Amino acid sequence: MFGQLAMSGLATGSLYALTAVAVVVVFRNTRVINLAQGDFAMIAAFLGIVFLKDFQLNYFLMLPLVIVCSMLLGVLVERLVMRPIADTDWLTLFTATLGVYYILHGVAGWAWGRDTKAFPVTFDAKPVSILGTLVSEGHLVNMAWALGIGLILFLFFKYTKQGIAMRAVTDDPETAKLMGIPVRFIVMLTWAMAGFLAAFAGLLLAPILYVSPGMMDEVLIKGYVAAVFGGLYSIPGAILGALMIGVAENLAGGYLGAHFKTATAFAMIVLLLTFRPKGLFGIQARREI
Amino acid sequence: MDVLQAAGRRFARDRAGDAGYLDPEAVDRTRRQRRALADMKARFQKQNWIAAGLLMGLAALFPMLPGVEGWMAYTVALVIIYIIAAQGVAVLTGYAGLVTVGHGGFLAIGAYTSALLTKHYGTELITGLIAGGLMSALIGCLLGLIFLRLSGAFMAIGTLGFAFFVGTIVNNVDLFEGREGINLAKNRVLLWEIGDVGFYYVALAVFALVTLLIYCLTRSGVGRALMALRDAEKAAESSGIDRVFYRTLAFSISAFITGLAGVLNGHIVRYISSEVYADIWYSVDFLVAAIVGGSAFLMGPVLGGIFVALLPYFLEELHDLAFILKGVALILVLMFAPAGLAEVMGRPLRALRRRQIERLGVGASRQENASIREPGKLEAR
Amino acid sequence: MASHLRCENVTVRFGGVVACDCVSLDVEEGKIIGVIGPNGAGKTTLFNVLSRFQDFSEGKLFYREKRIDRYRPHQMVALGLARTFQNINLFAEQSVLSNILVGSHCLIGNPFASLVWTPGARRIERELTRRAFETAELLHLERDLDTLAKHLPYGHQKRVELARALASKPQIILLDEPVAGCNEEETAELKNIVRDINRELGITVVLVEHDMSMVMSVCDYIYVFNFGANLAQGTPAEIQSHPDVINAYLGTEE
Repeated sequence: MFGQLAMSGLATGSLYALTAVAVVVVFRNTRVINLAQGDFAMIAAFLGIVFLKDFQLNYFLMLPLVIVCSMLLGVLVERLVMRPIADTDWLTLFTATLGVYYILHGVAGWAWGRDTKAFPVTFDAKPVSILGTLVSEGHLVNMAWALGIGLILFLFFKYTKQGIAMRAVTDDPETAKLMGIPVRFIVMLTWAMAGFLAAFAGLLLAPILYVSPGMMDEVLIKGYVAAVFGGLYSIPGAILGALMIGVAENLAGGYLGAHFKTATAFAMIVLLLTFRPKGLFGIQARREI
Repeated sequence: MDVLQAAGRRFARDRAGDAGYLDPEAVDRTRRQRRALADMKARFQKQNWIAAGLLMGLAALFPMLPGVEGWMAYTVALVIIYIIAAQGVAVLTGYAGLVTVGHGGFLAIGAYTSALLTKHYGTELITGLIAGGLMSALIGCLLGLIFLRLSGAFMAIGTLGFAFFVGTIVNNVDLFEGREGINLAKNRVLLWEIGDVGFYYVALAVFALVTLLIYCLTRSGVGRALMALRDAEKAAESSGIDRVFYRTLAFSISAFITGLAGVLNGHIVRYISSEVYADIWYSVDFLVAAIVGGSAFLMGPVLGGIFVALLPYFLEELHDLAFILKGVALILVLMFAPAGLAEVMGRPLRALRRRQIERLGVGASRQENASIREPGKLEAR
Repeated sequence: MASHLRCENVTVRFGGVVACDCVSLDVEEGKIIGVIGPNGAGKTTLFNVLSRFQDFSEGKLFYREKRIDRYRPHQMVALGLARTFQNINLFAEQSVLSNILVGSHCLIGNPFASLVWTPGARRIERELTRRAFETAELLHLERDLDTLAKHLPYGHQKRVELARALASKPQIILLDEPVAGCNEEETAELKNIVRDINRELGITVVLVEHDMSMVMSVCDYIYVFNFGANLAQGTPAEIQSHPDVINAYLGTEE
């Protein structure tokens, strides 16, 4: 029982991680807490349905198309909404993403309707035995995807010019600008990456949560909690936070009852913030005078 | 006699010979101008009071206007409740600089405290308001202590967690009767039963008192202390401001105000269930109302509350299009009125008054310096 | 005369770095004390210890012979200690008048009375405003009271900080590099102001400063620090001829 709950918790957690990492990537380069991250994923899921059903495309043909569309959406939001108000304080930016959230919700409801739709591609719930615990095949596939994306991100940040530039902007945007790094382009790239991660989050969660305008609301909140858990600046921290929340809430759901699932995530974050106000890996405040 | 005053005189005398350092005549002139300025400011303040009185009078007359029916008073009362809740958020966000996405929790605490008292002990509305407000303030005080070291986005997620926590409790603890909800009998104020119009007056009175409280707060030493902590924490502490005390106080006052709104919100519909109060969208809406209106302005939550409460009301029939319009409106306001609607709407009046002050000729020497800005210091908060 | 503020063998560590190593300092009542030393000598850390912004691992801190090792910064103001900051630390978005009024926060009395504007609180408020005007006149800021602090030129901002510190009716004031970044004229003016604060208002002054002309002409007594430890102390004349001090500043010829 415990092993099974923990395993499926890890699987859910790895999907939260996609959102948590996107929240961190956007926040640390632009100071924006992106409330629309979940809706990027929701739009991606709807687009997936459109491509699969209306255009009768193959899953692996649909995938790159959705990724491109999702990245474009991210860039579009950056250009139209965030860039004009980039100089304001973080609270204004935060509220602006809420505006984007409303718009995307409205667009999805308008174009595809409010009711829940099944995703045409599902994974078998056929259990596979690993290390003595039973895991469903779908969970394994999802974990594999998440792991692969994590690897891509790692390589991107470690070896590509753009990835290193992005890290530089995170550390010190002013100096990065002086060093000749095109900060505006990097910020755009950041939002494109948010779209990229959202595409996977949406497509992988669609078979589990089904597709509706509100499908990602709870995932977004948990991704946000996970990002804060890791300190909002650390990608490994966000991943660890997401996995811990996935496991903890699954255990709480299994032992205490389903309605304690979300409460567990928040109990964890409130407890953590009480003792470590900048998260697990956050830069703890130095007393500088 | 004050040491400082005496010393000041001596400074002035000693320096009278220095090259224009403190020319007694110039000092006298500035003092005269300063007095004239103070008089003018007092006049402005009087105008403000008169305007506020007129507006309140108009609001009090509203239910008596011909063609106004009970349901209209009910709807306006709902908007007023929204405004009061947003005022609570604005105290914390605007003056103390602490962002909260958890005030729905205080709304619930106020509502449930009063509802349970009314159901089990048959208390009337005024008692309910006091009890609900104080209970909310108490929890706010505790929350302020727990979140003493949080700021920015961390504070936002912490308070959101609080709202969820309250939601989970009212959903799962039997006392609160979960989704079944608590039905309340007809509202009483002291001994009299009141209907929709009577409730409208209660809400209006609470709104007036809360507004007065915030007005006093912002112009008192306490308000100055909060704003000082918001703008430069170290400097505030070095000026003798107790960070722990004032942050907790800000939380308590803010929770008290939103708690009052909660009591009213529960009693106006006379039905309280976790379906409503476990919904975190309340928390988000209150924050949006405070920001859109301008949280550091007295009129900010009023305009923001109207924006947030009435927009869906008018757009109800448009469904999804309403969502899109709401989002677009929100973004447009943030783009063109980043300090809030209150700031934009107050501009003509402030320009007029500034011109009147300029005519006094005070501070003219500093005009050219007004354009000196250090680019690095523009980032507020 | 009596000791006003004293620290004995204070040690501060940041991780492995020792910022203050067994530092002692004794500020005599009513004097102007200078604290000098090369960059990184631990002067600002010492200041933060004295104003209780920085905790220390070993040593003792006294205010008028009273142990204050664990006081919090805001409590120091109630004792009668005010300070300014090295990098200007004003409430930039607020007017000069509000800045000065914040400085007098410790005099507002009961905060709850102030909150609801009782008659007593309003009287205090009027009194504080009047005092703020006088403080502003004292520092020649009377024309700037309604200007936002961020719009003032640098020298004026420095004086606003000083005014804010004075508004709390301090008995001792710590000035962290008051003339850093000021031109000659402003320096001369601040020199006079510091002297006046000490002589006319009877306030003890502790001064960290790099500007030697200022320190030598204003201070009654000087402490020299180097590498986070006491190096020398004495009157300005003694310090100027002290061989260790000359070595520390000019380097030894070996």
